Amino acid sequence: MKKILIITALMWSLFSCSDKILDISPTDRVSEDAVWADEKLIDAYHTELYNCIMHGHIINMQSKTTDEAYCSITFGPGIIPNGSVTADNITDVENTQWHKGGNIYYWATGWQYVRKINVFLDKMGTTTLDITNKSRLVAEARFLRAYIYFEFIKRFGGVPIITTTYDLTQATGTSFTRATFDDCVNFIEEDLTAAFPDLPVTYAASDADFGRATQDVVKAMRSRLYLYVASPLWNPSHDLTKWQKAADAAEALLNSGYSLYPDYTKLFNQPSKTANSELIWGRTFSSTNYQQTPVNNLGRRYGAYGGWWASNGPSQNLVDDYDMTNGEPPFIWVNGVKTDNPASGYNPQMPYDNRDPRLEATVIHDGAYYHGDLHEMWIASDGNSWGYDSYLQSGDNPRGDYILKKFMPGIEEAISWQEPYTQPWPIYRLAEIYLNYAEAKFELGDEVTCRQYIKLVRARVGMPELPATVTGETLRARLYNERRIEMAFEEQRFWDLRRWKIASDVENRPIYGMQIIKDVTTGVKTYTPVKLLQRTFLEKMYLLPISATEIRKNNGSITQTPDW
Amino acid sequence: MKNKQLKKILLIMKLSTFFLFFSLISISAETFSQKFTFEIKGESIKDVLTKIEESSDYKFLYRSDAIDVNNQITININDENIGSILSRIFDQGDVIYKIFDDNLVVISKNTTSQQQSVTGRVIDASTGEPVIGVNVSIEGTTTGAITDINGNFILQRPAKGATVSFSSIGYITQKVIYGDENVIDIKFIPDVLSLQEVVVIGYGTQKKATLTGSIVNVGGEELTKSPMANVTNSLSGKLPGLIVNQRNGEPGRDDPSIHIRGTGTFDSNTSDDIDPTKPLIIIDGVERDYMSKLNPDDIESVSVLKDASAAIYGARAANGVIIVTTKSGKLGKPVFSFTYNTAFQHPTKVPEMLDAVAYAQVYNEGDYYRQGRPATYSPAYSDEAIQKYRDGSDPVLYPNTNWMKEVLKPYSLQKRLGLSVNGGTEAVRYLISFATLDQNSDFRHMPTSYKQYNMRIKVDVNLTKDLIIGANLNALINDRHYTYVNNGGTNYNETNFYNILLANPTLPAIYPNGLLAGGRMGQSPLLLDQRGYDKFEDTPLYSSFTASYKVPFIKGLKIDASFNYDLRNQFEKTLILPYYYYEYNVLTQTYDKKQATGASTVELTDLYSKWTTMLYNYRISYEKTYDDHHITAMLGQEQQKNSYSYASAYRKNFVSPAIDQINAGSNAPADKNNSGSATASAYNNYFGRLNYDFKSKYLAEFLFRYDGSQNFPSGKRYGFFPGFSLGWRLSEEGFFKNSVPFVENLKLRFSHGEIGNDRVAQYQYLQSYSFGQNYVFGGNDAAGIYANTMPNPNITWEVSKKTDLGMEATLWKGLLGIDVTLWKEKRSNILAARNLSIPAILGFSSLPNENIGKVDNHGFELVLSHRKSINKLTYNIEANTTFARSKIVYMDETPQAEPYQNQTGLPVGAALYYKADGIFHTPEELAAYPHVSGTQVGDIKILDLNGDNVIDSKDQFRFDKTNTPEVVFGLNIGMQYGNFDLSIFFQGQTRVYNYDSYFGSLGTSDFNNAVTERAKNHWTVDNTNGTMPRADAYQPGSTTMYLFDATFVRLKSMEIGYTLPKSIGAKIRLDDIRVYASGYNLLTWAKEIKWCDPENDGSFLFYPQLRIINLGINIKF
Repeated sequence: MKKILIITALMWSLFSCSDKILDISPTDRVSEDAVWADEKLIDAYHTELYNCIMHGHIINMQSKTTDEAYCSITFGPGIIPNGSVTADNITDVENTQWHKGGNIYYWATGWQYVRKINVFLDKMGTTTLDITNKSRLVAEARFLRAYIYFEFIKRFGGVPIITTTYDLTQATGTSFTRATFDDCVNFIEEDLTAAFPDLPVTYAASDADFGRATQDVVKAMRSRLYLYVASPLWNPSHDLTKWQKAADAAEALLNSGYSLYPDYTKLFNQPSKTANSELIWGRTFSSTNYQQTPVNNLGRRYGAYGGWWASNGPSQNLVDDYDMTNGEPPFIWVNGVKTDNPASGYNPQMPYDNRDPRLEATVIHDGAYYHGDLHEMWIASDGNSWGYDSYLQSGDNPRGDYILKKFMPGIEEAISWQEPYTQPWPIYRLAEIYLNYAEAKFELGDEVTCRQYIKLVRARVGMPELPATVTGETLRARLYNERRIEMAFEEQRFWDLRRWKIASDVENRPIYGMQIIKDVTTGVKTYTPVKLLQRTFLEKMYLLPISATEIRKNNGSITQTPDW
Repeated sequence: MKNKQLKKILLIMKLSTFFLFFSLISISAETFSQKFTFEIKGESIKDVLTKIEESSDYKFLYRSDAIDVNNQITININDENIGSILSRIFDQGDVIYKIFDDNLVVISKNTTSQQQSVTGRVIDASTGEPVIGVNVSIEGTTTGAITDINGNFILQRPAKGATVSFSSIGYITQKVIYGDENVIDIKFIPDVLSLQEVVVIGYGTQKKATLTGSIVNVGGEELTKSPMANVTNSLSGKLPGLIVNQRNGEPGRDDPSIHIRGTGTFDSNTSDDIDPTKPLIIIDGVERDYMSKLNPDDIESVSVLKDASAAIYGARAANGVIIVTTKSGKLGKPVFSFTYNTAFQHPTKVPEMLDAVAYAQVYNEGDYYRQGRPATYSPAYSDEAIQKYRDGSDPVLYPNTNWMKEVLKPYSLQKRLGLSVNGGTEAVRYLISFATLDQNSDFRHMPTSYKQYNMRIKVDVNLTKDLIIGANLNALINDRHYTYVNNGGTNYNETNFYNILLANPTLPAIYPNGLLAGGRMGQSPLLLDQRGYDKFEDTPLYSSFTASYKVPFIKGLKIDASFNYDLRNQFEKTLILPYYYYEYNVLTQTYDKKQATGASTVELTDLYSKWTTMLYNYRISYEKTYDDHHITAMLGQEQQKNSYSYASAYRKNFVSPAIDQINAGSNAPADKNNSGSATASAYNNYFGRLNYDFKSKYLAEFLFRYDGSQNFPSGKRYGFFPGFSLGWRLSEEGFFKNSVPFVENLKLRFSHGEIGNDRVAQYQYLQSYSFGQNYVFGGNDAAGIYANTMPNPNITWEVSKKTDLGMEATLWKGLLGIDVTLWKEKRSNILAARNLSIPAILGFSSLPNENIGKVDNHGFELVLSHRKSINKLTYNIEANTTFARSKIVYMDETPQAEPYQNQTGLPVGAALYYKADGIFHTPEELAAYPHVSGTQVGDIKILDLNGDNVIDSKDQFRFDKTNTPEVVFGLNIGMQYGNFDLSIFFQGQTRVYNYDSYFGSLGTSDFNNAVTERAKNHWTVDNTNGTMPRADAYQPGSTTMYLFDATFVRLKSMEIGYTLPKSIGAKIRLDDIRVYASGYNLLTWAKEIKWCDPENDGSFLFYPQLRIINLGINIKF
């Protein structure tokens, strides 16, 4: 009896109840105070800010939404070419989708990083820590905020300018209104100006810091920014001072030590860390953070997906726009009608002969070699056999009979799902600056300089210069086309068509592919372009809508983009 | 000869089992069940009795003048108990005897009659255990008897044709017309609604008669009737108020979703693993998560606390509590039980997909529409190609593959074996059980298997008269083996079934020469077994140690304490192999071997996880009866601490997969990786209960819990959750008894209480950061950290207020039983994140839970039962139905454009749909009605709900039904006829709708196959009167076209059993042999969803539920 009482009493005292049991600190995360008290953690926080930068090595590349490719799918990015995009489904093409939505809609990510950057700038303003490179870190952060705002205004026009951080209690009762487009441009310029002096001039593409903001990156961003600002979409009155600003911004980079990379193919298909004299800024990859663009885009021959559901095969529309080696375009568009250009010597039954070498570098077509393999897309006239890369062989071979080649590794690198590809995503490169400059100069009436810089770009691939007889609207068409060809699949086309205000023409053209029939008896191939997709572009699509849900969440204080 | 050998073997088995449990049995020398073995040759009865007295505790009392004890007898006693010996040495007609608790045996002359007597035995029909203390009486006389410890009785021989009545508390009274037999054996049917039945409640038990809360329970034997591997699935339809839906049938991953009275709150953060709508599951006193993996034979009862009575579990009990109690050792001789089941399993319903011909045709249609319906169309699949698919002339290039047929096995086996022994004395009671389960994949080349071993030992020891200590140890080994492709999140099944059901039928599965082709995206299901595996060795050990002390100097005062420690170790091994398939090359006419997606080298991950739970509690209880007043009181304290940690190791570049161990991988730093982390949580709480009843007529209960949860910031941690209930047993009132004598029992009950819910992620009151989201500079990773959820420093308890009103009645001796409960619940402070109203422009990371939501719930439960016994036939029918509906009173929601889109006012989970009004049959119809851009002839006509001539998101309406049924019902029929027993169980649901997100897909550009049901009568250029949308149909969002009524009724289980007559069993020395055949998911009638099992939660892409045909045997000895 006594024993039992003793044991009971003992046990009670051993396991005596205490509230302390509830005081448990987390072991799987870092507290906020710890982050801002530790230089290394501040550095890690700052590094993470760079994730606001989008890259195009994604499942659904942006090309699918443009006339660069035949988008066979009706969902995801397919809503853009189908014209079924609305304020309700715009988030289907948001960069946060698992398939990345072609990086078309960029909203939640942008605002999250604006807040993260604002938090960082606040903390740096008050910190008492002696942080190495603090001024550079702050400059990089401001640069990133400028990057985000540029991405915003490309899409939506003016958006709210937010420089303070809100906490949860301020979530209700705070409302935002759109600033004007010009205010946003000024805001971007402010950030860039503030960042500029504290940034290093440049990092080489092979440098361990390549990818961080530099003065040259700031200059490149200004060049593109002012080009956009001066373009018809935002400059309907054709204000020449804007074009002058664009020309000046480009000029600032013309002689900064960059040079065109001699090999147009290798410019895009060398792994990260490779020296590249042309690349001003890009997003690099590593063996743990790699990309899969080759296996996403190549054909079934390599067990790849042809752009997923074979929906990123280059279009006939793009292929048609490559000049002949004699410098003449095979087709000319007159008042929205496509006509043959007899001067080009284009033979529709030998469509890939004597073309601008950039066609070979960008597109795998019937009869082309890639990775040592002859690609064959023909179908026998009796239908009993076909080329191994024909769409009849597999649904993973694009229906248009073209496969993307840009960014695809050379023969020295294996093609498999297991390969960690690290080809960087180019964001700014010298050729663009040349073309920006050429365009600004053209608009300012300096057609000689315009042709001069187009010539530089064409000369790299051995294409003849534009003769002096090409002037006015013809030169404009050739200039626009040069940009399309040079920067195909680089996330430029979508925005260019809009800022030029020519999307209502171009984006309403049907997408074509090629049908190649091989006569079983003679072995002769017949090439017939076939219509694959009826495209729809509506006038309101020049700018993107803000998601209808987001508008409602803001209780209407943020206005919807016009006509949506 | 054979028989003798068998006997010997059985004896050896029995003996060895005996030795195994020797330490326990040895204490049992003083029990009734003591067996004697001796031989008497020509000795007097008196000497024999003396001998027995000397070798045991038995004392015999008799009058030597009345009993002839000097008779010389010769007798062989072999392992027999005292009753059996006495009946053999005395002539039964003349002498009767009685054995008392203290082993005193009184022998007397049978003076009442010179008649001979009859003997018999009463056993429990469901358990086969003897029933002690049954009243046996001959109607119309005063003669009767009571069954002894072995269920035996001796009754004075009744007149032929007389009615012999057997009655006992907790059983249905049985009547037998006496037909001059010498032996009357009775199978007693337990009375499930018995008033004396004891029901497990929180921290204790209570008599059903005086229960005032809404608590339902089911006995373990009910659950063993269904041959389902996962015991939780057998709860479906058995307990009113419990809504169980099995969403998929994959072995080891077939846990159903369980909700008590529907979904009373909402889950605003579905991305974390925390489901705030889940009930609390208590197994033997501790929150444990392995209910589905319990050995069904171990379960004594499952109770469900639905109302304020759950307040005793305050903290986490707002969604109700399920209490599982396992069996304990029972007083009596050791009873060995052996059960073996073999079952054949096969999916209930396999979706029928389009064949190659139909697939090619609809693909062409879709392709034609995508090209803008050109005047001249060159089809993707030419007529010649389609002809080849049809005639099968070229199986290499034009195959017609039925993917499901390629992979589905005709049946797979499921085996279950159970062994247990159970018995005890006043001093020690024990239960030892062992069970195994073995379940295989239903699909070829899919390395799925599940093996489970359950071991339990439960011992209760009376250390002294007042102190009982106990231990309950349960070890569980469950080995789950899957393909690694399944790995990842909630959609783990999708991967497989995508590649089976959506794989296009024009792809070859196996070439005629036997080589395996790649299938959909190189992920043919037939390759799954080449791709590696994902193996889990999950070995939890659950232990409880209890002590119960009756304080001797204060009568009625008792102290209980328990210490529980659960340790779960799980080892997961994931092996990923490079894998290959073949593809026919039309140019070279050879089969190219190709490497598919997946690893380039052998990759292996070992992941060790460990969970612990330490819980202890003390309870003081007091019970006192004072005149007509009866009081019980209980106070307790409980603390709980949980921890979780894991460590993982990874390597790649194994030379060969032959040794699947980490050390066989590459040593290069780039080829290795490791990871690990840990978390902890805790609870501290106080609870109590006070019960009062007056004459068992007026009942009152008060209970509370003062609960502290570490999920909340200091200062917001503790919550007080009280509950009370009242009961009135009208049938105990004198006036009532007289006026309506056919009503045996009528009780009204009412309860009200407040309960808490804290099921949200930890540390939401802190702003914290996690490592990750690296960025790459110059081709090298740079470390990143990012902010977690925004902090909410004010986070605290969610509160549920529950009110119940109930009535239960038994009429005409069980011919009709009614139990009806009406209930209401108000939830407030619901922890929800303001994801839906906070604009993204604020740039918050993820949002924390805040106490903002309000939901009202209401519903009812109704049980009707009927039981009767006609001669040898006894049967019972029980029907139950549950209705539960929630209504959101306040929630964070996106300001909606139209009032009919508001969540508020509708059930939790109600979703937005466009209203489909058939399809556009003609261009004229299309032109005449507003439609979204991209709509073509043959598309769904969406109703312009707001009449603004524009179809946009404002035309969506909020539908008031969800995929959680509002009404579920069950019908249980049990029959017993002689040695045969039959049980039939129907179960169903209604007022439930599933949106099938994959059903609509037909002829789409992503090469997905479609169900044949979808293709039926779809619109084509030639079938403009079709009712289903065209191929590649476009819809701007979910429409009601693919929203289906998921009402179904199914014959959930059926079992027919036969118990071999005693005489056969006795010959081989086995007490009880029962053979049975049972089936599960035998027949299903579905209202609309006829192409797949209607119990899924939306799409048909899941591991289907299984139909099981089972054969089993149960032996007791």
